[in-house]
Amino acid sequence: MLSATENNRSFVLHSVQNVSFEDRPVPPLRNDHEVRVHVAQTGICGSDVHYWQRGRIGDFVLKSPIVLGHESAGTVVEIGDAVHNLKVGDRVAIEPGTPCRYCDYCRSGAYNLCADTIFAATPPWDGTLSKYYSVASDYCYKLPDHMTFEEGAMVEPTAVAVQVTKVADVKAGQTVVVFGSGPIGVLCQAVCKAYGASKVIGVDISDSRLEFAKTYGADGVFKPSKPADGADPVASSEATAQEIKKQFGLGEGADVVLECTGAEPCIQAGVFVAKKGGTYVQTGMGKENVVFPITTACIRALNIKGSIRYTAGCYPQAVDLIASGKIDVKRLITNRFTFEDAEKAFELVKQGKESVIKVIIEGVK
Amino acid sequence: MAEIAEASNLSFVLNKPFDVKFEQKPKPSIESPHDVLVAINYTGICGSDVHYWVEGRIGSFVVDSPMVLGHESAGTIVAVGSAVKTLKAGDRVAIEPGKPCRYCTPCLAGHYNLCDDMRFAATPPYDGTLTGFWTSPEDFCYKLPEHVTLQEGALVEPLAVAVHIVKQAEIKPGHTVVVMGAGPVGLLCCAVAKAYGASKVVSVDIQPARLEFAASFAATHTFTPERVSAEENAARLLKEAGIVGGADAVIDASGAEPSIQTSIHVVRRGGVYVQGGMGKPDINFPIMALCVKEVTAKGSFRYSSGDYKLAVEFLSSGKVDVKRLITGTVKFEDAEQAFKDVRAGKGIKVLIAGPNEKSCRCIGGH
Repeated sequence: MLSATENNRSFVLHSVQNVSFEDRPVPPLRNDHEVRVHVAQTGICGSDVHYWQRGRIGDFVLKSPIVLGHESAGTVVEIGDAVHNLKVGDRVAIEPGTPCRYCDYCRSGAYNLCADTIFAATPPWDGTLSKYYSVASDYCYKLPDHMTFEEGAMVEPTAVAVQVTKVADVKAGQTVVVFGSGPIGVLCQAVCKAYGASKVIGVDISDSRLEFAKTYGADGVFKPSKPADGADPVASSEATAQEIKKQFGLGEGADVVLECTGAEPCIQAGVFVAKKGGTYVQTGMGKENVVFPITTACIRALNIKGSIRYTAGCYPQAVDLIASGKIDVKRLITNRFTFEDAEKAFELVKQGKESVIKVIIEGVK
Repeated sequence: MAEIAEASNLSFVLNKPFDVKFEQKPKPSIESPHDVLVAINYTGICGSDVHYWVEGRIGSFVVDSPMVLGHESAGTIVAVGSAVKTLKAGDRVAIEPGKPCRYCTPCLAGHYNLCDDMRFAATPPYDGTLTGFWTSPEDFCYKLPEHVTLQEGALVEPLAVAVHIVKQAEIKPGHTVVVMGAGPVGLLCCAVAKAYGASKVVSVDIQPARLEFAASFAATHTFTPERVSAEENAARLLKEAGIVGGADAVIDASGAEPSIQTSIHVVRRGGVYVQGGMGKPDINFPIMALCVKEVTAKGSFRYSSGDYKLAVEFLSSGKVDVKRLITGTVKFEDAEQAFKDVRAGKGIKVLIAGPNEKSCRCIGGH
């Protein structure tokens, strides 16, 4: 068990743009259903950077210090008395949001909508950039022996992509346009292909992102042209959509549109590029309010849905997609840092370089 | 108004088939901050309770050691745990008697009725609600509106079963629906189907008295099958009810092999068939008809999220009237006789007053 000198070195966000390393108490198991994980690898997400730089996302406001990070994998070192699915030594991917299990959302299977979710690195909850993290055992998923901890840290964004495709109900043979070719965008493209989509088109404004997407999951890639000065923005977005349909032989539109940017021109283009009766899923987050082609959405009877985090089955699916080789997440890891260089890792993500896809931070040894 | 005068935890215990006794058991306490403690006012008897009393088992669930019977109850809150927010002492509630684990995959996916580790009242080895007091998680007790009685509250359980079945049957406004069996669950399925906007609800039974009741309760048509083939019965049913091409949804609430067979010939091409009733575990089934007609067949088991809430809403709004199904209420001490009466097919739904229920009006019984 724990020695008297056991530490829990942690990477803490104290206030906006103010981080440091701290020795925190080793987290106890909150109840018999929890396990304690020695974190091995953690990926950085845009939301982590956003809390660091702005201190808030919507209603979640940083009011007191929190440990950052939520995309992690590690080794189970302690298990509660009621834990049956895991044993000490098991290597797991951690699902970082545990719901209350009592509210109507939880009881109906939509636990991603639980108002009382404890989500790692969403204020006021501590995240996983600590030596140890305690979490409900049913929110830890065993990694097959051949899967590395680095791949384990990529399960979280992969699970996001699995949820997006689940919400979109992507079926074999469908055509899909994915706006955004960052980590989430390319993972959505790859998951759609794994699900049998016949044609997946990745859209981005970055040449290098598109170059990568072309070699990853996309059948084709598209870079929208800049609208002419003084051009009506919505008309420009519609023109982008027409161009995509024409260039990729999508007929009168794509079956499914996955919006992974949150950028207003992409949202608009997304509505125009969907076929009549098609499905549009919003997962990218940008401006809270945008100019939206609502009449087009109405006349073309689109199914428009939001997608947030993940629900039951997404994590196991994500692990399986990676373990079976259907998706190669190793290729998304472009930069690696030791725990002590965590701040440098965050700085790198903040710079937003096109050549950087996923940055991961090694755990405390 | 009913009163809880004493703190008796007298319980109706099944030892083995036909061997029941009354026993004072230790009063349960609040174990988790999410729990409430409920004094039981009324409990309805279900076919499964009777089955355990007669056979001592249902399938692989065997009564190995003494077990308190009963699971269709309503009661009054007497104490609440520290994390309870929406209920307080004195609140009258309908009790959902199955406690899921909340951790297994079915629970997380929203199908807690299929929980790997379900602890269900009066399904061995768990004690039931024919007792004085019952501990329940807060979210499994549903407050009854002022104008809904505790006796009606005891009917919420079978009504929730009917709600779950009707949801499985995907019944939509304008649909034609056939329900095999006019026992309590079948009758309630008719009522719920109507509440869902079904244009025709055909109740089927072999007992004339039950059909008569069904017609006065919620069915738009009734049908008495004959000893002919399933196809012949189906053809005559559809003709008499004026349903062309087959019913949109067919529900079996009988478990009877001939009814199940007839159902597949009654449902339309592309329609939905729901198995709610339980009879023989293995039967002769018209598999070819299911295939070529593209019938969607589903099972329905107990209830899950939203079903109890909707059942209470149906009572509250008056869309379903369960009072007419209560044909007798007996004192707790007369529980065994009530079981005998239910087994003999007397009445529709018999309620047993809780051991602390002093001022119930006990009518019928024996």
